[in-house]
Amino acid sequence: MLNQILAVVRRVLQQLVRDRRFLALSMIAPVVIIYMIYIFFDAVNRPLFNEKEFVPGVAAFIVHFLTYVLCSIALVRERTQDTMTRMFVSGYRRSSIIGGYVIAYSLVATAQSLIVLTMLNVLFELEYTMSEFLQMYLIIWLLAIISIALGIFVSNFARNEGQVLPMIPLILVPSVFFSGMIVNVSQMPDWTQVLSYTTPMYYAESAINTVGSAFEPVQVLYLVGYGVIVMVLGVFTLREQM
Amino acid sequence: MSSTIDVRNVHKSYGHIKALDGLSVNVEEGEIFGLLGANGAGKTTLIKILMGALKFESGEVSVLGHDPHSDKFTLRPKLGYMPQQAALYDDLTAKENVKFFGSAQKIDNLDKRTIEILEFLALGDRANDTVHGFSGGMKQRVSLACALVHRPQILLLDEPSTGVDPKLRDSLWSHFHTLTEQGVTIVVSTHQMDEALHCDRVAVMRAGHLLACDTPRALLATGHAKITLEANGSKQEYDFANYRVELPKLLGVENQVDRIEVQEETLEDIVLRLIAERETDHA
Repeated sequence: MLNQILAVVRRVLQQLVRDRRFLALSMIAPVVIIYMIYIFFDAVNRPLFNEKEFVPGVAAFIVHFLTYVLCSIALVRERTQDTMTRMFVSGYRRSSIIGGYVIAYSLVATAQSLIVLTMLNVLFELEYTMSEFLQMYLIIWLLAIISIALGIFVSNFARNEGQVLPMIPLILVPSVFFSGMIVNVSQMPDWTQVLSYTTPMYYAESAINTVGSAFEPVQVLYLVGYGVIVMVLGVFTLREQM
Repeated sequence: MSSTIDVRNVHKSYGHIKALDGLSVNVEEGEIFGLLGANGAGKTTLIKILMGALKFESGEVSVLGHDPHSDKFTLRPKLGYMPQQAALYDDLTAKENVKFFGSAQKIDNLDKRTIEILEFLALGDRANDTVHGFSGGMKQRVSLACALVHRPQILLLDEPSTGVDPKLRDSLWSHFHTLTEQGVTIVVSTHQMDEALHCDRVAVMRAGHLLACDTPRALLATGHAKITLEANGSKQEYDFANYRVELPKLLGVENQVDRIEVQEETLEDIVLRLIAERETDHA
């Protein structure tokens, strides 16, 4: 099984390295988005949100958004091009395919998270200490891994790229409105609070709020737990045929 | 069940559409077995059932003595599969593609085997080129290399020559014959009649039913012939199942024959007639 996982990792990385435009866009896009948010806060005298509280959540969301979208599309492409069926018939196991994808894309996510966090620190002068920076990095990185697993899981329900597109807002919009990024979850009605527990951004936002001296490792464990559940769901729902 | 592949009374539906409706066929070791039929005949469904990628509702299927679905992890190392579309990673080289699919199993000296199989398919000099720039025919050969890298006992080919020029098609069939000489059993689906002539046996399928299953020669022998005979100033048309026997009898009763025209059915005509007869029976 380890051989199969490594083969998938090698293959996905080879593809990513060859597709330089994709690789460049996935690194440049977060930079551009963060810079636009910076321009917004710089231009508006009285912004709707306190930027120091709001921006870290936005940064996490950008990484979540990009990794989720890129990974779900990559998996659906495997299906439409019949390479998914061929992998299975060649002898690849479901867990090897998902494990390989998660590891390969996590390398991209690692770089993405670092770029996002560094940009954030510099532009918004957040003045994170090394410890705070590492705590933030851990949270965003874990969220990126979850987003990869979520992308794999969601792609199992789409036959083609067209079908995966409506699933993007279906996952991401609740993350924006119900995660506590805009409105504190405790101020929401009870039923929407339940909805918020289903979004990974809720756990990321909860962990981000504790960054600093009040850092709660248990919040990170919630994120890890969420990731494990999504990955297991991905393994069990990955189908050879649609 | 002693054949390499045994399919008995298999039913498979997609919603209300019956893809296989009580299909039974068997394939012997080392033969090229053709699945012949139009689109929607059930050829691809049968191939996917044989490799354990599709479940069926009822019937029995045995491939090398295994249930292809419940024993798929035991069976698949013995199977090679070449889908309709090339199913390759365009960003990777031919060698990287073959190596990746070969890595799913334990193959001694995979690098050497990859080069060996690419050379067998006359792609040795393009091994390190990305597949993106390859022609359709070259991609099909890389696809075949991916299916062969682990030395399968059975090769399942789903319309392998779709979009391939005649020269390359001949080359692919030449490779298939070489493989059967090495003991590989090949199941190949096609809707091109001339390809069926390359097979040892052919199953003619229509809407999930088996219309006929025999050697191409035996199928051709069932062909009718249309005889146009101009004799004694009149022109008559006859339809004979076996004109070699019937024609001399006919000539024996005619005084003066001016012209004879014999139009034998091709394999395509025979298949179309079988389909028409089936539809008439069900009307």
